[in-house]
This record gives sequence, C-alpha cells and structure tokens, in this order.
Amino acid sequence: MAGAARSLEEWARREAGKCISCGFCEAACPTLALGPHRAYGPRGRVQLARHALESGSLGGEGLAGVYTCLLCAACVPRCPAGIDIPGLVRALRSLVASGRVEAPRWAPVRVRG
Amino acid sequence: MAPGRERVASLLEEALGPGKVVAEEDIVRLYAREPVGLESPEPPAAVVFPEGPGDLQALARLAYRYEFPIYPQGSTTSLSGSAVPLGPGVVVSMERMDRVLEVSLVDSYAHVEAGVRIDDLNALLAERGYMFPVDPASASVATVGGAVNSGAGGMRGAKYGTMRDWVLGLEVVLADEEGTRMMLGCRTVKCRQGYDLVRLIVGSEGTLALVARAYLRITPLPEAMVTAAGFYDSLEDLMESVVEVKSRGIQPYIMEFLDEKAVELAAAYVKPPVEARGAMLLVSVDVNREAVDRYSKTLAEILGGRARRVYIARSQEELDRLGLLRMRRSLFPAQVMHARRVLGKERVLKIIEDIAVPPSRLVEAVRGVREASERLGFDVIIGGHVGDGNLHPSIGIDPDDPAMAARAREWFTEVMRVAVKLGGTVSAEHGIGTLKREGLRMELEANNAAKALDIMRAIKRAFDPKGLLNPGKVL
Repeated sequence: MAGAARSLEEWARREAGKCISCGFCEAACPTLALGPHRAYGPRGRVQLARHALESGSLGGEGLAGVYTCLLCAACVPRCPAGIDIPGLVRALRSLVASGRVEAPRWAPVRVRG
Repeated sequence: MAPGRERVASLLEEALGPGKVVAEEDIVRLYAREPVGLESPEPPAAVVFPEGPGDLQALARLAYRYEFPIYPQGSTTSLSGSAVPLGPGVVVSMERMDRVLEVSLVDSYAHVEAGVRIDDLNALLAERGYMFPVDPASASVATVGGAVNSGAGGMRGAKYGTMRDWVLGLEVVLADEEGTRMMLGCRTVKCRQGYDLVRLIVGSEGTLALVARAYLRITPLPEAMVTAAGFYDSLEDLMESVVEVKSRGIQPYIMEFLDEKAVELAAAYVKPPVEARGAMLLVSVDVNREAVDRYSKTLAEILGGRARRVYIARSQEELDRLGLLRMRRSLFPAQVMHARRVLGKERVLKIIEDIAVPPSRLVEAVRGVREASERLGFDVIIGGHVGDGNLHPSIGIDPDDPAMAARAREWFTEVMRVAVKLGGTVSAEHGIGTLKREGLRMELEANNAAKALDIMRAIKRAFDPKGLLNPGKVL
C-alpha cells in the first residue's frame, strides 16, 4: 500500500488530498443511509482523514464514522480521483490506534431513525 | 446580534430535540466544502438534520428570532458554489428527509421529500415502467431538493427540459417569524395560481425558501431506443449533422457531444470496443418497438453522410456493450485524469463551465471557448448537451497556485462572455451560486435588463425579509 511513500502519514495525506468532494462514492456506500451524517459515508471518511492529518486529532462523531466503515470497497470504482478509500480508512484507524492521531477511546455509533 | 456558535447549537437542540443537531467541528467541516474547491472561511456553528417539515419550521423560527443564516444543502454537487456556507450560521442537510411519500401513475406524479436521491426515485419508478426524466450527471447522489434549488438539467434535457418543466408543486418553509409552511402549485399539470411561485423557487438556489417536499411529474419509460454515435474529423461536419437531425423532425431523447480531446480521454478510461477517434456526436431517439429499424436506418444515413465512422445501437443492451453512453458519462473522471497529466500532480481541481447558446451558434461558441483558453494558457476539454446548446468546457488547475487560480477566474469570465455575445446564457443548469454573480450581471446588462436585478432583490426581501437564507448567493 505505502509504495514509495516514506511513512503512513505521508501516504494517507497524499491519498486524502486527491479528493475533490464530488460525492459520487456515496451512492454505493452501504453504511451512509443508516448513519446520522456524512461521516458514515466515504466522502466524509476521506475528508475526516484529511482533517485528522492536518490537526492530529479526531472527535468522537468522526471516530464512529471511521470505525463503521465495512471496508467493502463498493465506493472505489465510483471515485473519479481513484482514491484507495478502504486503504485510507485502515491507515486512519492505524494512526488512531497507535496514538499518532488523538481521538477518544470510544464513541457511540448512532443509527438513523 | 447573532448568538455565538455554542449558543446557536444549544438553542437548536432545545428546539428540535435530541440527535438532529451536530456541532462537532470535524463533522461540521464535512458540510463546508464543494467540488469546485470552495471551502467556508470558517466552519458553520452546526449542521441540522431535519426529519420533517416541522423541524424546518422550528429551525426557521429560531433563525428569524436570533438572526443567524441558514445554508440549505442536498448532496453538495451543484458546481456553482451555491451550497457552501460563506460565514457563520447553520447548514441544514436534507439527507434524513429521504422518503418517497406517494407515486400515482394515474395522476402522473411522485410526491417526495427533498432528500430523496434522483437515481433512487428512478429505480423505484422503473419497477412500474415510469421515470423522472431530469438526469444531472450527479443523479446517483443529487437530491430532489438540490435539483429543485439549482434548476438542474441533464442529458435528457434535449427532449424533456429541466427541473422547471417537471415540478408541479412544492411544500416550502419560509424564514419568517412563524416559520410559515405552505404548499405552492398543484398536483395537476394544468395549474393557474396567480403568479407562478413554484417556478420562482425552482433555480432560486435556496435563497427564497426551504424546500421540504415536492410533487414531481413523471412519465412512462420509452418503449425502445435507437442510438447512433458518429465520429467526425471536423466540428463543422458534426454540427451539420445536428442541424440535419433536427430539421428532419426528429426529436432526440439525448443529443451529446464530446470534442476530440474528450473522446481520446474518455476512450482511454472506458476502453470501448469501437474506433473512437475524432469528435463524437451521440444521438438517442425513443421510439415504438416497431419503428426501431426505420430510425436506425435514418440515423445511420444522416450521421453517415459526414462522419468518418458511425455505430448504431438498437437497444439499451447494445448501447451498454458498445460503451458509447458510458464514454459521455465518464467525462468527469476523464477530465480529472487529464488535469493530473497536464499539471504533473495528483492534487488537482476541475473547473467546469456551464454555458448555453442557441444550437445554431455552437460552432462559433466552441471556437470562441478554444481561443479564450489558448490565450490564457489552458488546455480545454469540451463536452456537452448539444441538443439544447449547453456546453461544459473544463480546465484543470493546481489549487496550490494562486496565479493559476486568478487566470482560471479570468477564463471563467471569458467563457461566459462568449456565451453572452452569441445570444446565450452564462448558466444553463448549474446555477449562479457564488461563481457566476458577475456573469449574471453581464448577461442582464447585455440584454438591457439590468433592472431585473432590482426586481430579484425585491422578491428576495418579500420571501426572506431578514436575508437569512443562503446569503451571498445569486444576487
């Protein structure tokens, strides 16, 4: 995954930086319609990664969005920018787990309705 | 004076109940960005997720009382900057109002909430042999409310027009003291209700009222479809074919155009089993099953008179197999790839124009756009809905290069100038938003209609006396 990139952060930053926020990925996502907001869908998760890599932190609502991703990759063929979205989610989880991105230890997962 | 961020969020929670307001900055920022690269200078105070018109009323009353702006959003795919919050205030996202309330085939309407996605509605209608014909390129995620507000169009615009032709009635909420909720328009196609406020709200980009629900016209799916794709060495020949199709009394269902560069890029992306070289004209006609042979021959004859190569698809399956429509639909990702190649970096921004000219002036428009692009040093790609004269020239820019961004703004203005000069319009279907306000002024002045802006401002005040709805857009 990381290829020639020097670190996981660098790879994730580059991958998240490709996002143009078109939202085309959202139509394929099985979790977005069940969640309370965009963080439960791929566009939200990519943007969360971008922000977390800038700020070094992630809030509880965002954490729930990142950990509800099924890594099913249904969004990948929809992405015009060719972002490895599941790879980016895995990278963000790894950065959170290793403490390189600060986040709460737990957060409630909210289901719509 | 408007209350601070935290106070706004707590007032909203109190008024709407638990779970419908999110103020965490990580989440709020997800609603502060558009694909055109615009981002709010400061994140809004909160995002509100209404679950019915009552929630919209509670929000409107509060906004009126405490004087904070409301920025309505569907899926944020407008490409005009109309959904980006420009200052402090609250985003209202319609994503939880996503129910289809009623479909009546006898009365030919669908009654839907604003957050229903257009493709989801069409999947439901297709089971019953019907469709909602407005199909913006973003239909997989674009919502009905967003399409109403942006006055969206799409490929089928050649035959079916845009949202203004397909909205029968709207249930809206006003940003006034009472949070007035009203049903405007009718459920019937014929409807004379004084001034046509429904069509005023269609295309108003969230600046007049909050759209909660809509009665949409629906129509039967075509029985059969014939599609012809011609590849041309010269643009003039392609346009001659357009003229001939139209003058033979054929009303295309879809009539699309890609210039030779767009064809090359789209073919590299789709890899269709056809010889895709030169500019492409794609013409689809919806016909009775019995007429498929006749129309196939006619289209082959018209396009074959000038094109280097013509392909005919006599069914949807054949069209899918040839990948011809997919080429047109892949214009957006192809443009992204192209921008990356030209700029030599992965982080790029696509700038997509949206002009329309009378179809008879399309050759001049394409030439004008190419000249302006060359002069400003941009590698332009042009595609569009040639049946209704709507072109989407696009360029790629480096978002980290301010000088290039300034040149891109100049390009944007120059392209709009081309349209106005040819008797066209600066925005066919994406809207005015923040990017085309100067263009709107340019067009109205050219038409000797500058006073229209004063009339629009007066209308805005009548609907939204405190100027709280999507401020900084359109006018």
